[in-house]
Amino acid sequence: MQILAQLIASGIAVGMIYGVIAFGYQLTFATSKTLNFGQGEALMLGSLVGLTVVSFTGYWIMLPIVLAFGLVQGAVVERLGVRQAIRTKSEAGWIMATIALGIIFKNLAENIWGRDALKFPSPLPEAPLSFMGVNVLPMEVVIVFGALAMMLLVEVFNRRSIYGKAVVATANDRDAAGLMGINTSLVITFSYSLSSMTAAFAGVLVAPVTLTGAAMGGALGLKAFAVAIIGGLSSGMGVVVGGLILGITETLTGYYISTGYKDVPGLVLLLLVLSFKPSGLFGSATIKKV
Amino acid sequence: MLRNLTVALALSTLLTTTALAQPVKIGLTGPFTGGSASMGVSMRDGVKLAVGEINKAGGIMGRQIQLVERDDEAKNEVGVQIAQELINKEQVVATLGFINTGVALASQRFYQEAEIPVLNNVATGTAIATQFKSPNYIFRTSANDQIQSAMIASEAVKRQGFKAPAILADSTNYGQLGREDLTKALALSNIKPVAEEKFNIGDTDMTAQLLRAKQAGADVILTYAIGPELAQIANGMAKLGWKVPMIGSWTLSMATFIDNAGANGEGAMMPQTFIQTGNTAKRKGFIEAYQAAYKVDRIPSPVSAAQGYDSVFLLKAAIEQAKSTDGAKIRAALENLQTKVDGVVTVYDHPYTATDHEAISGNIPVFGVVKGGRVVVAHEDDIAGDKAVRVKPKN
Repeated sequence: MQILAQLIASGIAVGMIYGVIAFGYQLTFATSKTLNFGQGEALMLGSLVGLTVVSFTGYWIMLPIVLAFGLVQGAVVERLGVRQAIRTKSEAGWIMATIALGIIFKNLAENIWGRDALKFPSPLPEAPLSFMGVNVLPMEVVIVFGALAMMLLVEVFNRRSIYGKAVVATANDRDAAGLMGINTSLVITFSYSLSSMTAAFAGVLVAPVTLTGAAMGGALGLKAFAVAIIGGLSSGMGVVVGGLILGITETLTGYYISTGYKDVPGLVLLLLVLSFKPSGLFGSATIKKV
Repeated sequence: MLRNLTVALALSTLLTTTALAQPVKIGLTGPFTGGSASMGVSMRDGVKLAVGEINKAGGIMGRQIQLVERDDEAKNEVGVQIAQELINKEQVVATLGFINTGVALASQRFYQEAEIPVLNNVATGTAIATQFKSPNYIFRTSANDQIQSAMIASEAVKRQGFKAPAILADSTNYGQLGREDLTKALALSNIKPVAEEKFNIGDTDMTAQLLRAKQAGADVILTYAIGPELAQIANGMAKLGWKVPMIGSWTLSMATFIDNAGANGEGAMMPQTFIQTGNTAKRKGFIEAYQAAYKVDRIPSPVSAAQGYDSVFLLKAAIEQAKSTDGAKIRAALENLQTKVDGVVTVYDHPYTATDHEAISGNIPVFGVVKGGRVVVAHEDDIAGDKAVRVKPKN
């Protein structure tokens, strides 16, 4: 029982990491039906910039700087990679462009920070907390609640503020929103900024637990993509649940079946979702009129 | 007529002397960027240190050594391209290097076909020195995985008396071949690991692996993996509040393990051919020269630096004995080396024969332990007195 609880606790921490990255995919998909395939790299850049800044400012003052960096980085990706593709209604242009930008960011990071895994100083004590025999790191608790808080804030912003309503309107019907006087291309740029900001935030949140380095984006970005598909790209709630499902299945399979097959059930689930509910467990099916 | 002849004679003498004074081109390859860069860079710096010393003292047979450095990025396909470039375009006399077993196995074939000797100075895969039958152009100056796994098993079971080892290895060739070697070595003492767990490069959570080992009653963890994931194992144990010793392959000495595991990595033990302590005059001189040349206190990977340094002197001795830079002659000289080469790892006295291309034997490495963020000698009596320099037994 205690072991099961420990596995689930670790699974939740890992799953939340996936979920918070996947949340970034969901943000841009909602407004522009495009994804930033360099989401993992946005996370990596955020955490490496954080690592450089943290030595001057300490952890908490570093956060707003990294968030600002994320906003700018997202806008750059949209302007360079996505805008052209949307304008020309290209089906695949943005896929190649965001992948290419991701590779460029990775090479850039390798040149600046090197290619070794680096330790990110933890703002909290590294001794585990024990709840009824289940050990968790203080930082893991921060990851779970920090990620939830951030997603909640973004949702509140989208629903309550006038700018957020412009985002929702664009997400619902871009042409109609444009006719209502909403600058939809600015909204799309903004959604990319927001998406990279969440990724950069996720980066500094998870780095004390996962280590950081130019290569950290690849594996995490891919897992998060699977999560986004399982949960559904149109639902913020979906990616959280999708992340938790994947994280917990991984640790449970690792323990009860074999650590060699840890990744298999998650991928089987991905295939099942794609075959039976392609819009994701929580996604709403959309009818595309052509 | 006589005048013309003199000019011709003078010209031809000039040509021969320039030919003689041409540098000896030696290839140097390894990952200088990427996850295994700390080993690649230390190896390269060790090699350059040796070459600098040799060139300053007049070179090999009066010719300077010229290194042709190439970064293989730890990628097999890049290694193959480099091998072809070094052989065909640069026309090197021999090549030193290789950190990654996969890259070595993929690239060596080309050297073997071109009959150019390779001194493999870091990669540890057991197959490397036996990939080809005699005449084999591949030599090694590192401790192979068979030697290391036997040492790990005997340290854990015989010396420290652990009864229930768990093996944690990554899913790469390095990890899985090492795991096989380890199980075989343990079987010799009639011990079966209580758990054999696997993880991927980049995995950040080791809870499942560690809980399985813990539930199986493991009293020691034996590892075959590289720095970052090894650090996750040590950190994961601290998180679960479970502490058993870690003993593993030499990669536990990687800076990425020591730095990222911090206090959790203290006490980890691994076989080392060279530890950064100046317990002989030769080693002291080497460490000081390295520190001065590269302005560091802790050598990122002392084993790689020392093996790289020694590999240059072995090659030099062979070329001088062969009195030629012809590949086949250098190979023959290496297989029957008459001069004793006094290296920092050991004294190389007939290190190779036609069938044995391993310079390091099982008695040479000693156990290092992580202490205060550095690797120090685990058992002081291992290097006490006349055991300071351990030499390969005569064949």
